[in-house]
Amino acid sequence: MAAPSMKERQVCWGARDNYWQCLEENAEDASRCQQLRKSFESSCPQQWIKYFDKRRDYLKFKEKFEAGQFQPSKSPANS
Amino acid sequence: MLLLAQGSKAWLRLSLLKTPIFPRTLGSKTLSKRTGLPQGPKLRTRLLITALFGAGLGGAWLVVRAEKEQRRQQCRTEALRQAAVGQGDFSLLDHHGHTRCKADFRGQWVLMYFGFTHCPDICPDELEKLVQVVQHLEAQPGLHPVQPIFVTVDPARDNVAAMARYVQDFHPRLLGLTGSAEQVAQASRSYRVYYSAGPKDEDQDYIVDHSIAIYLLNPDGLFTDYYGRGRSAEQIADSVRQHMAAFQSVLS
Repeated sequence: MAAPSMKERQVCWGARDNYWQCLEENAEDASRCQQLRKSFESSCPQQWIKYFDKRRDYLKFKEKFEAGQFQPSKSPANS
Repeated sequence: MLLLAQGSKAWLRLSLLKTPIFPRTLGSKTLSKRTGLPQGPKLRTRLLITALFGAGLGGAWLVVRAEKEQRRQQCRTEALRQAAVGQGDFSLLDHHGHTRCKADFRGQWVLMYFGFTHCPDICPDELEKLVQVVQHLEAQPGLHPVQPIFVTVDPARDNVAAMARYVQDFHPRLLGLTGSAEQVAQASRSYRVYYSAGPKDEDQDYIVDHSIAIYLLNPDGLFTDYYGRGRSAEQIADSVRQHMAAFQSVLS
């Protein structure tokens, strides 16, 4: 399977960005972005979809982490 | 030793300041009744001799130090010369199908990136950045063109044809390098590049995890600097310019 060309990559990134934009606007509610999800899945290789999904999870986690939502446990006796 | 020379010079100046108005008496060792300081040319002579001796010692110390520095520099140059010839060598196929090794790039500055053509986003971004650096430097008159190189860490899929298709999207002078699994492994070892192919999915596609850096090699073929994801194209171009200005070849 040949690697995506530059044009194909850009189509894929565009579809991904549209999908992520929709998720941003709908507070991560994937059910409201199904059309864009389909478009995203048809534009990108499967490996890339998995990779971008994981990347989004990581970016969201990083946002929460930097906003201080995860505090270290204050009871070391439990570990 | 230098402190002693300086100290005795300072002392000489101080004593000259204090004794300008006292009369000269040859061979006199008597103390002046006014200040209690010993006076006379004998003391001045002694001080002068001490100062000259101190200066001589200081001078000798400086000469010895300079010689030691020069010897250290020669040893370092020799070590670098050996490294330039022996280390970081590779034998890979370029995207036209010709074999290339490190010596082919002697005389040129090289910016090298290790990646793979099936890379989702990082490799295209980093290669775009690398190309921007090359373009910044091309815009500057008087600078030799920098050679951009893309080496694959996925030789199983990235054959010569795949590399040719990939590099054409970035820059006309971007050179793609591939080879057998052993050749790629050897080149990656030379440049301390980590890479590991991930699990294959249903259509046999996989992602290769790899360290991300742009390597700068000088015209002697020696590794000079590396740039991670955090550096912008302008920052990298500035750094390359500085290295170019400071460069002195160790190979004749």
